[in-house]
Amino acid sequence: MSAVWTLWKKELRIYFLSPLAYVFLSAFLFLAGLFFYLGVTLTGEASLRVLLGNLAITQLFVLPMLTMRHFAEERRLGTLELLMTAPVSLGAIVLGKWLASLTLCLLMFLGTLVFPAVLAYYGDPDWGVVFTSYLGLVGVAAAFCAAGLFASSLTDDQVAAGLVGIVLLLPFWLVGRAEALLPEEWADTLRPLSVLVHLDSFNRGVLDSADIFYFIAFTVIFLFLTYRSLESRRWR
Amino acid sequence: MIEAIALTKSYGPRVALNNVSFTIGQGEIVGFLGPNGAGKTTTMRILTGFLPATGGDARVAGFDVFESPMEVKRRVGYLPESPPLYPELSVGDYLGFIAELRGYTGRTRHQRTGAVMERVGLAGWERRILGSLSKGYRQRVGLAQALLHDPPVLILDEPTSGLDPAQLVGIRDLVKSLAGTHTVILSTHILSEVEALCPRALVITKGQLVAQGSLDELRAMAPRGDWYLVEVDGLDGPRLGALPQVDLVEPLGADGSWRTFRLNARIDPRPAVADLAREAGARVRTLEHRLPTLEEAFVSIVGRE
Repeated sequence: MSAVWTLWKKELRIYFLSPLAYVFLSAFLFLAGLFFYLGVTLTGEASLRVLLGNLAITQLFVLPMLTMRHFAEERRLGTLELLMTAPVSLGAIVLGKWLASLTLCLLMFLGTLVFPAVLAYYGDPDWGVVFTSYLGLVGVAAAFCAAGLFASSLTDDQVAAGLVGIVLLLPFWLVGRAEALLPEEWADTLRPLSVLVHLDSFNRGVLDSADIFYFIAFTVIFLFLTYRSLESRRWR
Repeated sequence: MIEAIALTKSYGPRVALNNVSFTIGQGEIVGFLGPNGAGKTTTMRILTGFLPATGGDARVAGFDVFESPMEVKRRVGYLPESPPLYPELSVGDYLGFIAELRGYTGRTRHQRTGAVMERVGLAGWERRILGSLSKGYRQRVGLAQALLHDPPVLILDEPTSGLDPAQLVGIRDLVKSLAGTHTVILSTHILSEVEALCPRALVITKGQLVAQGSLDELRAMAPRGDWYLVEVDGLDGPRLGALPQVDLVEPLGADGSWRTFRLNARIDPRPAVADLAREAGARVRTLEHRLPTLEEAFVSIVGRE
């Protein structure tokens, strides 16, 4: 467990020593500000619905870019060899990296808390909905960071890893809107796989164990796939 | 301390290592020689537990690499071919991270990093950023990383590649100082390095261990064996060749009236040459037993299929 902590610290240090963390934080907050302004002025509601809905889709593109360097870069620098010949389990390496990416996401979300504060000053938002919406956002971040790490474990080219990550996540987004494209029975079968469907209940203020389980399962499956992918690459 | 038994590694249809076996005793410094792509790095990666072998066994520091990789990793210091550095981190942060990975915290962490920086000549460099270091210093940081936990076994993949002559001497002295207390296997294709550091060497080519032994044993594998260098004034080749001990005479050159010859002989011909010179009234300025160079031996071993 202490190895996870050590790796977490190292990953965050590297994030903040490179321009990466600052670029992501400022870009994310800029977009959040834009969504908030548009959402409030267009709907006239004291709600974060537009903001949080859009932030979720923003993550689809931002998180693969945030995680793409992890294993791809370690492999290119030869530091993966360093980590894998240190007395540290592969699981700890994957977990440390995932937690570091998630931490950066939480920092981004922390910055957006200014918007509910603004709403509270001028209006009366539903705090329950705000809370569950943020929980949904964290669920998406956890799941997408895991998927991004998996993409990064597949290649030693960062950009390729980022693109693979986006392509990997896109279907989970699209099946939520699949009714228009697919026969009805297909759409019904695939709909439970959609991130949108599960996120929607969080955004409506509903906490359903099925939705919570969806994000946990998504995360665990991709972390496991990352582990297996790294493990199997040793054999080739 | 290090034992490889019939190690085999294939990448798909390509066989990178084929049935390689050797043993390295406690405190030995052994050179691992071979042309590029011979399988040196693959062997080292298997010994460190980074790569699984396709077949065979390896034991390092008393533990099986495949069954107890963690125990092996705790006892091995490994310097890969290019030092594994994070360019964003400073020397101090990097070594601190390694120390924590190796389980040192708080005060012992500081002691360890401080001591190892002193040892590899990095004292006062903790705040330098790794990405800005010259090749020689990057190599030192890589070595510091491998030595940090004072491991009983060190596996160094081309530890002196890219160093300038002064740095080379420094790193060699450091490796030499490890003899006796540490078991070291170091790969290189620089033969003078092996001569400077290693009493014993393994030679690998095309995935196969083709020779191992002390450097003298390896030199004796040169095709023409040992020979004698003679420099005389007043004797010619045929007269030297007429000596019963001498099998072959080869003139090597001349310096004024001095002539240089290379003699091949099964029995030491030097007393006979001296006697002959005295009888003939010739003068002798060199009479030396020469071993073949490691280069000659290496080329013939590696070239031999």
